[in-house]
Amino acid sequence: MTFFDVITRSLKRRPIRTSLTLLGISVGIAAVVALIGLSRGLVTSWTSGMKSRGTEIVVHNMRGSLTPKPFPASSRDRIAHLPGVAATCMIFVDLMSIENAELMIVSGREWGCFAWENLKLVSGRLPTDQNERAVVLGITAADILKKKVGDTVQIETEELAVVGIANGGAFVENGSIILSLPLLQQISGNRDQINAIDVRVDSGMNQAGIQRLCAEMSKLVPEARAEPAGEHIASSEGYRVINAMSWGTSLLAVLVGVLGVTNTMLMSVFERKQEIAVLLALGWRRSRIMGMILWESAMLGFLGGIIGVLLGVVGVQLLKRAPALRGMLEPDLSTALMLTAIAIAVAVGVLSGLYPAWRSSRVSPSLALHG
Amino acid sequence: MNEKSSKPNSAAGSSYVFEAIGLKKDFDDGQVHALRGVDLQITEGEFVAIVGPSGSGKTTLLQMFGALDHPSEGTLKYRGQSLFDLPDTAAYRAHEIGFIFQAFHLLPTFTASENVQIPMFENHKSREARKSRALELLKAMGLEHRVDHFPAKLSGGERQRVAIARSLANSPTVLLADEPTGNLDSESAHHVLDLLASLHREKNMTLILVTHDMSVARRASRAIQMKDGHVVFDGDPAKLSIPA
Repeated sequence: MTFFDVITRSLKRRPIRTSLTLLGISVGIAAVVALIGLSRGLVTSWTSGMKSRGTEIVVHNMRGSLTPKPFPASSRDRIAHLPGVAATCMIFVDLMSIENAELMIVSGREWGCFAWENLKLVSGRLPTDQNERAVVLGITAADILKKKVGDTVQIETEELAVVGIANGGAFVENGSIILSLPLLQQISGNRDQINAIDVRVDSGMNQAGIQRLCAEMSKLVPEARAEPAGEHIASSEGYRVINAMSWGTSLLAVLVGVLGVTNTMLMSVFERKQEIAVLLALGWRRSRIMGMILWESAMLGFLGGIIGVLLGVVGVQLLKRAPALRGMLEPDLSTALMLTAIAIAVAVGVLSGLYPAWRSSRVSPSLALHG
Repeated sequence: MNEKSSKPNSAAGSSYVFEAIGLKKDFDDGQVHALRGVDLQITEGEFVAIVGPSGSGKTTLLQMFGALDHPSEGTLKYRGQSLFDLPDTAAYRAHEIGFIFQAFHLLPTFTASENVQIPMFENHKSREARKSRALELLKAMGLEHRVDHFPAKLSGGERQRVAIARSLANSPTVLLADEPTGNLDSESAHHVLDLLASLHREKNMTLILVTHDMSVARRASRAIQMKDGHVVFDGDPAKLSIPA
C-alpha cells in the first residue's frame, strides 16, 4: 500500500459524492475547453485561411468589431508599390444570411489576384471573368447550402449561378462563398469599397521585415491598419471582447467547481474527524494529514479536469455543427489548451483543499479516545 | 494473575518511563476538573491498569501519556524529559508508543494488512518492508488467514487483534490501551488480554490499560484507581476493595 492508495481509497469511500463533485469540476473545465477553444478557433481558422491564400500581411479596419469596416479601394494604390510587397489582393468579406443558412462567409476577391490561386476545384470551374454573375462554393459551404454545380444561390436579392465547388485548403476557405469583388460590391451596395487588402511579401522576408512593412503601410493608409496575417483577428477589440467573455464565463463555471470541491472536502474532513484523530494518535504528522486532504482535493481536480476536457471536446464537436457556427470556424482544441484546462482543474483542487486541509490540521488527537 | 514488574531503566537517564507531578486537566473553561493533581510514576516494563468509574479521569490520564492533550497544570515526564517539551510529539506517538482503542478504529476501506501498515508511513519504510512487517505482526496475532480481509468481514476479537498488530507496527516500548476488551464478548476479551499479557511478558513492554472491568484490572501487576480526578488507590490489584 502506498500513500497514493490512502488518497484514492478515501475518494472511493463516498462514490456518489465524489462523482457529483467530479461532475461539478468537469462542467467548469468543459466550459473552459469549449469557450476558449471556440474563441481561439476564430483566430486559428482565419489565420489558416490567410495562410492557405499565401497572405502574409492584412490591411484592415477591424477596430471594435469582428467584421472589418469598409474603406476605399483606392487605399491599395498607396501600398502596392512599396519595396518588399510582392502582390496585393483587394477583398470585401462579409457575414451574410444565405437562403436557409443563418450566417455564412461571403468573400469578394479582386479578379485574377493570388487569393483565387489556392482554390482547387472539386467540380465545375472558376467564373470566366469578374462580370460573370457566378460564385464558387467552398466544399463545406456547398454541403451546408446543399448546392451543386448548376444550381443557383441567392445573395441578398441576386440569384447567382454556382459554377464551381472548390477545396480552399483551410476551414474558413471551405466554408466560404467566393465571388468576384465587383459583383459583391454591387450586391452589397459597397461600390469602390473594400475591407481588407491581402498582401504577399517578397520571398525570404523575415518577421522583423514584415513588422517594419506593416508599420510603413499603417502610416500610408491611416484609415486602416496593417498587421501580420492572423494577428489582425487576435488584436481586434471584437475578438478581445469574445475572449474576455469566454474566460469570464469559464472562470465563473470554475468558481462553482471550487465551491463544490471545498464543500465536499470540508464535509469529508468533518465526517472523518475521529479517523484523523486516530491517524494523529498513531503518529501521523499534521503535515501528512494536510497533505492527504490536499492530495485528495488535487486528485478530484485532476480527474475532474480529464473528464472536463473530454466533455469539452464532445461539446465543441456538437457546437461546431450548430447552424450559426458551421463552416465559420474550426475550434482550437490544441494540446496546450487541454493541458492548461487540466492544470486549472488541479489548481482548483488544491485551492479548494486549502481550507479543509487547514481544518483537518485543527483536529485534536484526543478525539481518538472518544467513542 | 499478577504480572511481573521490571526494574526502572536507569540507563535511560531516568528511573521512570512516566512521571506525573501535580498533573491537572480542566475542560470547559475550568468548569470541569478531569484531573485534580495526579502524582504517580510508572517504571519500565510495568503492566498498569487504570480503573475508575466514568468521569473519574482515567481516559484523560491516558490521553496525557499519549501526548494527545496538554495538561492545564503540572508536569508529565517521559523517561525524565517533559513530554510536552519534546520537539516532536508526533514522532513520540509514532515511535515510542502504540495505541489500542476500545472501538478498534480500523479504517474501513483498508484491509487488515493495510491497517497495520498505516503507522509505518511515519517510519520511512519501503512499501515491501511495510507489507512484510504487517504480515509478520498479523501472523503473530494468529491472523495470517485474514490479511486481506476488510474490517467489516472480521469478528470483534479479530478486529482488536488487528488493532494490536497495528499498535506494534513501529516497535514501541509502551502500549496504551483504552478499554481494549470493552467491545468484545468474554471469550474474545480473554484472548485479547492473554495476547496483551504475553506481549508485556515476552517483549518487556510497558503496558498501561484503562478499564472499568475489575477482572481485567486484576490481570495487571499494578492498579491505579481514580475517582473525581484523584488517584485513590495505587497498588496490588488484588487489594482493590471497591469495584471500579
